[in-house]
Amino acid sequence: MAAIPTLLPSHEFREALRRRGGDTASRCFQCATCSGVCELAPDEAPFPRRLMLLAQWGQAERLAADPAVWLCHQCNDCTVRCPRDAKPGDVVQAIRALVIEKLAFPGFLGRLVGAARASWPLLVGLPIAFWVALLAATGHLAIPVALPQHWAYEQLVPHVLIYSVFFPAAGWALLAAWVSGRRFWGLLAAGGPPVSFFGGVVPAVSEIATHKRFASCDAARPRRFGHLTLLWGFVGAAVTSGLLIVGIYVQHLAMPLALTHPYKVLGNVSAVLLVIGATVLVANRLGDGRKAGAATAFDNYFLTVVALVIVTGVLSEVARLALTPEFALAVYVVHLGLVLCLFLTFPYSKFAHMLYRSLTMVHQLGGAEASRS
Amino acid sequence: MTAAPRPLLVVGGGIAGVTAALEAAEAGRDVVLVERDACIGGRVLRNHHYFPKLCPPTCGMEINTRRLERNRRVRVLTGARVTACREDGGGYEVTITHAPAYVTERCTACGACTPVCPAKVKDPFNLGMAEVPAIRLPHPHAWPKRFVLDRAACPDGCHACRDACTYEAIDLAAVERTETLAVGAVVLATGWDPYPLERLPELGGGRSPDVISNVQMERLAAPAGPTGGKILRPSDAQPPRRVAFVQCAGSRDVNHLAYCSAVCCLASLKQAIYVKEQLPDAEVTIYYIDRRAPGRNEEMLTRVAAMDGVRLVKGKVAKVEPNGAALALRLEDVDAGRIVRAEADLVVLATGMVPRSQDTSVFATVIDEDGFAVERPGLAVAGVAHRPEDVAASVRDATGAAARACIAAGRSA
Repeated sequence: MAAIPTLLPSHEFREALRRRGGDTASRCFQCATCSGVCELAPDEAPFPRRLMLLAQWGQAERLAADPAVWLCHQCNDCTVRCPRDAKPGDVVQAIRALVIEKLAFPGFLGRLVGAARASWPLLVGLPIAFWVALLAATGHLAIPVALPQHWAYEQLVPHVLIYSVFFPAAGWALLAAWVSGRRFWGLLAAGGPPVSFFGGVVPAVSEIATHKRFASCDAARPRRFGHLTLLWGFVGAAVTSGLLIVGIYVQHLAMPLALTHPYKVLGNVSAVLLVIGATVLVANRLGDGRKAGAATAFDNYFLTVVALVIVTGVLSEVARLALTPEFALAVYVVHLGLVLCLFLTFPYSKFAHMLYRSLTMVHQLGGAEASRS
Repeated sequence: MTAAPRPLLVVGGGIAGVTAALEAAEAGRDVVLVERDACIGGRVLRNHHYFPKLCPPTCGMEINTRRLERNRRVRVLTGARVTACREDGGGYEVTITHAPAYVTERCTACGACTPVCPAKVKDPFNLGMAEVPAIRLPHPHAWPKRFVLDRAACPDGCHACRDACTYEAIDLAAVERTETLAVGAVVLATGWDPYPLERLPELGGGRSPDVISNVQMERLAAPAGPTGGKILRPSDAQPPRRVAFVQCAGSRDVNHLAYCSAVCCLASLKQAIYVKEQLPDAEVTIYYIDRRAPGRNEEMLTRVAAMDGVRLVKGKVAKVEPNGAALALRLEDVDAGRIVRAEADLVVLATGMVPRSQDTSVFATVIDEDGFAVERPGLAVAGVAHRPEDVAASVRDATGAAARACIAAGRSA
């Protein structure tokens, strides 16, 4: 006699889901309206209905391995149409937060950032305090007496300090992300058909660069614009940082660069994109609740840190040009702390969607690639 | 007490109201039955067949009208509404407003007026799916058997019908009049309206003539309907090859009606039988969330599910969009776990029932969160006015409401 498969509902998972903003999952009566309206759901593996069922039964393992969790862009078309107000968009958002926590390496950091509702002062305050302490210890909390009129931040905080903090921080974030990414890729690949990783990368990058999928979500037009603008702002800022390193050590350019210098222009254009993108996203979050979805502490933590990084970054430049060096230094220290916070919590915060969603798209498109060849 | 006991007032001449009035009258009570339409029968008479026995409702209504004719205790006021109500200790004092009687009781329903009438109106009996002369018999089984005139549609100065009438039954100058009655207790049986198709644009409602409601489907199948009982696509009057039923269209949905309307599953199963009887080669698909066929209705579910060319698919239809001459449906087939893109020639939205709470407000009735009237002593509620239910349940319900009203009126008499 064949064994009857047993399904053990995890009450812990359901409790965690409830705490993290997915409590409406229990309202779902499996009508499947959500899957029917979802423009992103693959025909052969539709969602979110399946995810709602798995959430109700507390199937944490299956959810962690389910690509649908990341294929969802939370446009909330499903939430708008849900006949039970079960808010599938919010539930899947809460599932994503729990998957990030589950796959985090090391686990305690995942839990720490996962508890952002309580831990945010620590998450934000510690990196800022670290920078204040570092500058105090190296004698850089005071403004140098011989500061020229057109000073550069390098004269307040030497580049070597920046490198000695951010290169290890970035390295750590990448290592943690790599471990989590490997875990996730293993779950996605388990038992499935062969997938060509490299075959998937090119189409995935092309889709991400244009936010093609986001465009098919009816309820989320402003969010797509904001998100895409923010993405390109970050890309521009990262490219600017790389170009500046080349400028300083290869081209031996004198800092500060003139506002008309191409690198400066790129940096400032990126800043404008970041400001526009963040403004749209924050406005959306504060706007129509049902379409925007519920704002959990985990989401707000990430969006707030991103917004503050942008605000302090722009303010640092304004302060250098127009305000006092003392004020500029204060803003800059906070900015450095927030950027450090963003780096260190990348694999554990909502920022990690970049890792998991990208991998999921690579897996999906790589599978199509592998089956074609 | 020497004064005669006050009569009961029954508001609404559908199956629940007629039943309540008859039960109270046959128990010895005087009853005033008020119906806003020109004839009694309400929603029930617009059905082609009842489920689960699949017999025509005219048969049951004929028994009821015969009971009415034999019973002198029921005074039936058609074309009338209760427009004011005051509690007076012994029950209610109500004001009844009679619509102008353009066609009087002298009418013999000879039909001489209809051919001369130059004006056409949308036929309310057929839910606007056909045009009829402004003066006509409302439908073949109208009781009282008297013509009605849609006066607003008359051309200026036209009196062709009056000239044609040999019984002097037409009074084009008739005016509204009111009367006041003291009643001992009230039975509210104000019934329901179909949920409007236009509120369901995502399901094609109001966007394609070939997306119809279940109540319209009843008219398509009925011999007195706009097509003479032939099931035809409204757009091109061709028989549909593929018919899709969308269950819970605007029901069990917090964006529309939060409750289950209780009859739509059986109505669609019944209508699937209409289609297969007329068009044996048609493919019928019923898309559902749950198949709610309680009690003996389950036999009908089993029977229809076993029919060739009928499929029941679990999954709420999410979108219906015109696609050329056909309609494209999108849903998740829950059992198969995949997205289905289906085509249909005719889509029937199984829309729910909306209680006519606007008709109960004159009684200062408490309305629950779904719009249904809540009963109170001296004010009994029957039929869909207080809960969604099928015809058989409405009839049972009406008997109980009549009994409660009799008891309340007896106490106050």
